[in-house]
Amino acid sequence: MNELKLIKQAQHGDKKALAELVKLYEQTVYNFSYKICRNKERAENTMQETFLSMVKNIKQFSGKSKLSTWLYRVVSNHCLMLARSEGKHEFSSFEDVEATIDEKEIADWKVTPDRVTENNELKKILDKAIEKLPPEYRIVFTLRDIEGLSTEETAKMVKLSVPAVKSRLHRARAFLRNELNKVFKYEQK
Amino acid sequence: MNKSKPTCKDVMTHICDNLGEGLDSPKCITIKAHLEKCENCQHYFKSVESMIEFYKKYNVTITEDQHNGLMKCLGLKE
Repeated sequence: MNELKLIKQAQHGDKKALAELVKLYEQTVYNFSYKICRNKERAENTMQETFLSMVKNIKQFSGKSKLSTWLYRVVSNHCLMLARSEGKHEFSSFEDVEATIDEKEIADWKVTPDRVTENNELKKILDKAIEKLPPEYRIVFTLRDIEGLSTEETAKMVKLSVPAVKSRLHRARAFLRNELNKVFKYEQK
Repeated sequence: MNKSKPTCKDVMTHICDNLGEGLDSPKCITIKAHLEKCENCQHYFKSVESMIEFYKKYNVTITEDQHNGLMKCLGLKE
């Protein structure tokens, strides 16, 4: 059954259709939540909150955007709210873009991305680096570079201007590259 | 930026700004010319691309317990 038909049925109180929609998107939502939260417990909590919101508000879903876009927005907002309530991050170090690029530290990385799926050490390195990024930057980087949304779609989702998204993306890319470079320039193939 | 002769730092800044888009636009010609000749900047470009690829390939899978917990929490238990 196609997604629109499922949404229509769910809007009329069909629980089976609602369950089908959850099954259709639970993997995407969990994976995206993890990419933002970087913690399995928080990702699970975010996934639950996201689908609770979907169940509660499905009647208001107009269908003007994709359901996945709507779910991404709920995940982003929930993760931001969690992060703000914890108040862990300081943003000053991300203001100076020039400082994030170090011309003297350019090395040819010896480690390749295909090793990531089976390598837990590598996963820890990636987690550690991205956890240092403030969530506002992490969301922009994940939506734009990982999930493949356009700059305009990302801007709309996080309610920022296109130049603000570009600026955050630039800083996130430069910062993450530098963080990984500290480790990967010494790794062996 | 001096458009006729960008520095490595100009090129690296440009890479982080425009990765994957706009490298064929006329204003990027000097950047591309520099990139073709400069091994240092090629390493930088490659490392930014690899960094993104690392995060793209890092995925987590929902377990059966998590799926069941979610359905129960939503009152949609099969």
